[in-house]
Amino acid sequence: MNRILLLLFLCTFATLQLVAQVEEITITGTVTGERGDALPGVNIFIKNTTIGTISEFDGKYSISIPSDAQFIVFSYIGFLTIEEPINNRNIIDVVLKEDTKQLEEIVVTGYSSQKKADVIGSISSIDPKVVQDMPIIGLDQALQGQVSGVSVTQSSGTPGGGIMVRIRGNSSISSANQPLYIVDGIPIRDGGLSTRSFGGQNDNALSTINPNDIESMEILKDASAKAIYGSRAANGVVIITTKRGKIDTPTTFDIDIQRGIINPTNSVDVLDASQLLQLQREALFNAGEDPNDAGIPGVTDGVNTNWQDEVMRQAIVQQYQLSTRGGSEKTQFYLSAAYRDEEGVMLNNKFSRATFATNIDHKATNRLSFGLNLNLGRTKNNRVKGDNFLDGVYNAAITSLPYYEPYDENGKLIVPGDAGYAEIPNFNPVGQAIEPRFDTYATKMLGGIYAKYEIIPNLFFISKFNADYTSTIEDQFEPTTTAIGGWLESVQRQGYGVYSTTEYSTLLNNNVLTYSTSIGDVHDISGLVGTEFISRTYRSGSTTGILFPSDDFTYLTSSGLILDGSSYLDNSGLISFFGELNYKYKSKYLAKISARYDGSSRFGEDRKYGFFPAFSVGWRMTEEDFLSGISWLDDLKLRASYGLTGNERIGNFQYLATWGATTAYNGVPGVGPATLGNPNLGWEQNTEFDVGADLAFLSGRIQFVFDYYYNVTNNLLLNEALPYTTGFGSILGNLGEVTNEGMEFTVTTVNIDKTLHWTTQFNISANRNIVQKLATDEPQFSGYTTFTNSTHIVATGKPLGTFWGLKYLGVDPGTGDAIYYDKNNDGKLTANDGTYIGDAEPDFYGGFTNNLTYKGFDFSAFFQFSSGNQLINFGNTTLLNSGEEIKNNQSIKALERWQKEGDITSIPKYEFGNTENNRFSSRFIEDASYLRLKNVALGYSFNQEILAKLKMKKLRVYASATNIWTLTNYSGADPEVNSLDGSTTAQGLDLYTFPQVKTILVGINIGF
Amino acid sequence: MKYKIIISLMALLLTTFSCSDLLTPTPVDLITNDQVLKDANSARVVLTSAYRDLANLGAPKIIAGDLTSDNLIHNGTFTQYREISNKDMSASNGSATALWGVIYSMSYVVNFLYEGLPNIDISQSDYDEITAAASFLRAYAYFVGAYTYGGLPIVTSTVVADNRLVARASFEETLDFIESELLYALDKLPEESFNSGDVTNGAVKALLARFYLYKQNWTEAEKYATDVIEGNGTKAYILEEKFENAITDFSTESILEIVYSANDNPGTSTDFSINNLFVGRREIIPSTEMVLALQNDGGSRNIMLEFDGKNVRGSDNGWTIVRYGPFENIQLIRLAEMYLVRAEARAQQDKIFGATSAEADINVIRQRAGVPLIQGISKNQMLSAIENERRMELCFEGHRWFDLVRTGRDQQVMDEFTNNWTEKDRLWPVPLREISNNPSLKNAQNPGY
Repeated sequence: MNRILLLLFLCTFATLQLVAQVEEITITGTVTGERGDALPGVNIFIKNTTIGTISEFDGKYSISIPSDAQFIVFSYIGFLTIEEPINNRNIIDVVLKEDTKQLEEIVVTGYSSQKKADVIGSISSIDPKVVQDMPIIGLDQALQGQVSGVSVTQSSGTPGGGIMVRIRGNSSISSANQPLYIVDGIPIRDGGLSTRSFGGQNDNALSTINPNDIESMEILKDASAKAIYGSRAANGVVIITTKRGKIDTPTTFDIDIQRGIINPTNSVDVLDASQLLQLQREALFNAGEDPNDAGIPGVTDGVNTNWQDEVMRQAIVQQYQLSTRGGSEKTQFYLSAAYRDEEGVMLNNKFSRATFATNIDHKATNRLSFGLNLNLGRTKNNRVKGDNFLDGVYNAAITSLPYYEPYDENGKLIVPGDAGYAEIPNFNPVGQAIEPRFDTYATKMLGGIYAKYEIIPNLFFISKFNADYTSTIEDQFEPTTTAIGGWLESVQRQGYGVYSTTEYSTLLNNNVLTYSTSIGDVHDISGLVGTEFISRTYRSGSTTGILFPSDDFTYLTSSGLILDGSSYLDNSGLISFFGELNYKYKSKYLAKISARYDGSSRFGEDRKYGFFPAFSVGWRMTEEDFLSGISWLDDLKLRASYGLTGNERIGNFQYLATWGATTAYNGVPGVGPATLGNPNLGWEQNTEFDVGADLAFLSGRIQFVFDYYYNVTNNLLLNEALPYTTGFGSILGNLGEVTNEGMEFTVTTVNIDKTLHWTTQFNISANRNIVQKLATDEPQFSGYTTFTNSTHIVATGKPLGTFWGLKYLGVDPGTGDAIYYDKNNDGKLTANDGTYIGDAEPDFYGGFTNNLTYKGFDFSAFFQFSSGNQLINFGNTTLLNSGEEIKNNQSIKALERWQKEGDITSIPKYEFGNTENNRFSSRFIEDASYLRLKNVALGYSFNQEILAKLKMKKLRVYASATNIWTLTNYSGADPEVNSLDGSTTAQGLDLYTFPQVKTILVGINIGF
Repeated sequence: MKYKIIISLMALLLTTFSCSDLLTPTPVDLITNDQVLKDANSARVVLTSAYRDLANLGAPKIIAGDLTSDNLIHNGTFTQYREISNKDMSASNGSATALWGVIYSMSYVVNFLYEGLPNIDISQSDYDEITAAASFLRAYAYFVGAYTYGGLPIVTSTVVADNRLVARASFEETLDFIESELLYALDKLPEESFNSGDVTNGAVKALLARFYLYKQNWTEAEKYATDVIEGNGTKAYILEEKFENAITDFSTESILEIVYSANDNPGTSTDFSINNLFVGRREIIPSTEMVLALQNDGGSRNIMLEFDGKNVRGSDNGWTIVRYGPFENIQLIRLAEMYLVRAEARAQQDKIFGATSAEADINVIRQRAGVPLIQGISKNQMLSAIENERRMELCFEGHRWFDLVRTGRDQQVMDEFTNNWTEKDRLWPVPLREISNNPSLKNAQNPGY
């Protein structure tokens, strides 16, 4: 806007000047960015005059100037302004550098936006450019390692899989801990798409949106920033703005193509056939049984299958995107179409997505403008079962006995009924991968219209109608060649098909009035008030069929028996009133009050409404006289905030005591108790305190951001475990309290700023999560069942994700038996000997990025790290099981087992049927700290000469590699895994979770 | 003018959404507690969920009766079954937790009926029939529970505040409670059920016979068993001519069975599907001793087993129990058991030979099974023969462990099978989660756990 005014202004005066000046010369040239990309719309003017112009779409300009002019000035938003001496030149080409200080940058703060310098909440911004060379599927992946206070864990290496995002730790025990994602003002669905469990791993609703359509992402971290989102803000808010056209810019086209290959990062080392047979014989012998009687042959019969190799492959990823944007003074647009196709490393696993985005803004009159956002997405996910799944693929590939084979001597797949079929527990993992059909189709429509009207100067009324619609169809069939469809007798061995659909829709209307004014150049006041109505609907249906005529018939139409039909509908709503007031005195003292009043259908009559206020203050010390003399100090801002937010993410109708339908018995329908009601059920309330400092000096060469926070979440919705004698397992109440205390630190530096330009960004965060209060003095348990109750414990004074089990003291060199700590000193090993044996919380985590540019070359290296976090290598309870059973292969570590008296080792002896040596204990806990070179990329941008010949505006080629190097002591396949995807209390468990993948990409960006 | 347009526009927008609709959506397919009981029909619908709990009791009861004893061994991957098989149960054992949970989830439904029925318009006969069925089902669940865990917490209301603190009653008190429930139900239910699978007066009498046998009240046990065998106040049950028919759905000798239909999706769930455990996953297989016993028995009862050589490896003897098909019912009480109850009650009363003797009763069963009849043996030999006969006839129906423990023969018999049998194995542990969450159970764990 300002630029247009300036332009008009300049043009007018330039004409006047022409009359006055006679002697003049013409200067031409090209303005480019550091990557050689042409910069259109750059303001170019002669210093101390009103003579000026702007650069064309290809960055070229031409300007007539008086012959005595000395300096020519180039200025462009987001770039450092340069003054170039003319020195009698006729051609002046300049390269503009990005302004890393970014104090003038606009930050989206929710329902409005602010200059970065004026922001006094804790808000981090991500420029999606930093991840453009990485093979990311969903926008949540873009958050990884880039921002302090945000911890992102990819649950596995499966494309389109679940991702755990935590902003400043876990604030809730039983409700969701995922942040609220807002795309162009629309809260979007997160979590999984599928309704069917795939062994702990979920898919990801955020994968339906193309991250390349995103212009900017803001992460709202403290109460001051979040309170405007009230009852949904406790876990933080991620604000996503998609790309739009800009006023008065020429139409540009961009083509982006990416192709690459994917390989697994790692595999689990297991025994070969002869090693395993020897071990099994030893286990039986130690148990007093004769291995020959038990059917264990003495030598291998020549078969030695590497099952992990059998189910994995080198996969291909490819992505194509065409986009165009531009705009006149009145109308601006952005259009894009993209297609991505990513194979999984596991056989038959593939994720593909087509997306379309349309954003249009139109200014109808000086006061009225309106526009449209529309994002359409369609994904297809060919899934394979994994993790803790009876008939999963990757888990079975690890534990499968090497003396079985996937194919017979004729190359035919070995299926149920064949002589060489391994049956339970591992079946034929290759068949389990390639034979079933588990297709999940998702359709996403995210869009809306808005109108903005200026009632009086600076008083705007903005109204939006938006919708987020996600529909999922799951089309599944397991033929007779699979374990479920052809082996499991209860399914009757004639195929098993499931067809299910779900539909989530959110309709939203918000109406906001914003106003800003200045009083006498010292008081700046701005504010907004608004209302929001959100109506959410969930529908689902599912049908299962068995008894198919043959494997040629795979849809339920052909099934002989339909089972388990279901359909369901669920509504919920939210009505809100909110407001915000910003005050600034002489740009020095800043204050902000914001609040939201929310009514939610999810809570009981007495607790339906909640009020969430926040207050923050800031002091820009650099605006004070006593600091004005310090030229190297650009900015020093201190800020503090305090406020409340809430969490309403519990299921619907939890406050009611209800009965629901049970399966009919003997043909008679029934109703049975569903939930034990709690009419007083209310919001989880998060009280947050934050102090921070922003510091920039040496012309933005060094920037620091520091935050300390202390958050108390009380009234935690907690399922208080009840003894079953009540008829129920638990009751939901507002019972718990959790605190999160942490520090975040980010430093950005420009190390070299010559032809070689080198910047570094380093961020590090530490969060201490502590459970302060539970429903009763008794701890709660979660995770997998063990001898001492469960793998995880929720106990006061401990963080969420604490491990519970026996303390392993090692192996008795005399007997080879495991020794455990006898906590209660009763001489017996019982469930009462359980103790704390570790936790999943890292001491600190963060990211480290270096960017270098030299002439046309650009290079970046991005490291990610996490330290002090532990993992339960739960797979080892089977893979290193001391002979408890002999149906599964064993880890290579089994070779270090105790074998004879005097052996000093940490692996107990193998004795068939011995459960005692394999009790869940600290033996299975490992340090999972890691440092990972997450991404390294090298690009080259062609210079203007070549571009001019090619009639292009931009041409860049690059190569990038992901997950190529990891430093860790963790003995499992990957330290960055989370088997129970989405669980808060049972974090840090690895049960044959598929490791991250290594991707090597080449790509090209073309602009014209 | 413009302001007016804007204001009226805003007003319009605000009224588009009705607040009450948004904030109080109607629950779908859920009703609140006060809407549940309206009339006799709605009470029967509630009773169905007690039957569902009975269905959920089927598999755990077989696990308890057969896997805890020498009939079955574990052959799969689940720790809970491995622990039971190895006589090394932990208090957090999943099967122990599941069985306990089912008892009390049924208890809640029954108590809900008892509390709600007086407040609705219902005829005395409907009231009697519904409450008698409810009391019987609860008595059955408590009976299984009492002999699995010992004395149980007795819960007779739906008040959560009380029930979360309820302590264990003594074993005798628990038995008294079961007895009073059964005696209440006696003669209130029809002899013949309208819907096969519903509880009848025959089931009440049969369970009383079993109850008194366990309690060593031989005369009462004999009396009720005779009632059922002779059809006094019960339907006329007829012993099937062939054993293979006796274990099919709704045989002529069936007194009570858990009804499964194709609607009970067998899917991949394992918790309560005995077919999945025995056949699908072969998580549990017959012990070699059991296989040999059935083979040596010589009659027709080994049709329950099948052998497949390619399964033989490690502890797997290759044998599978094929008795329970995917949707097949589980027999809870059948006429053959009544003959064996009476045989034992009579033997204990020294009625060894003659027309109304143990010998006559046991031979009814042996003849049907196609095994040699028993003649001229002593009381002790007869008791031993009955113990063996119960093992053969009622195997995989969840009796063996209870039989060995109630007769005190467990140590002697189990020592031949395993080195791990101790006094503690006479009971399962009280689930750890119950002890953790109920202060009254703090020091109430069974000895040895």
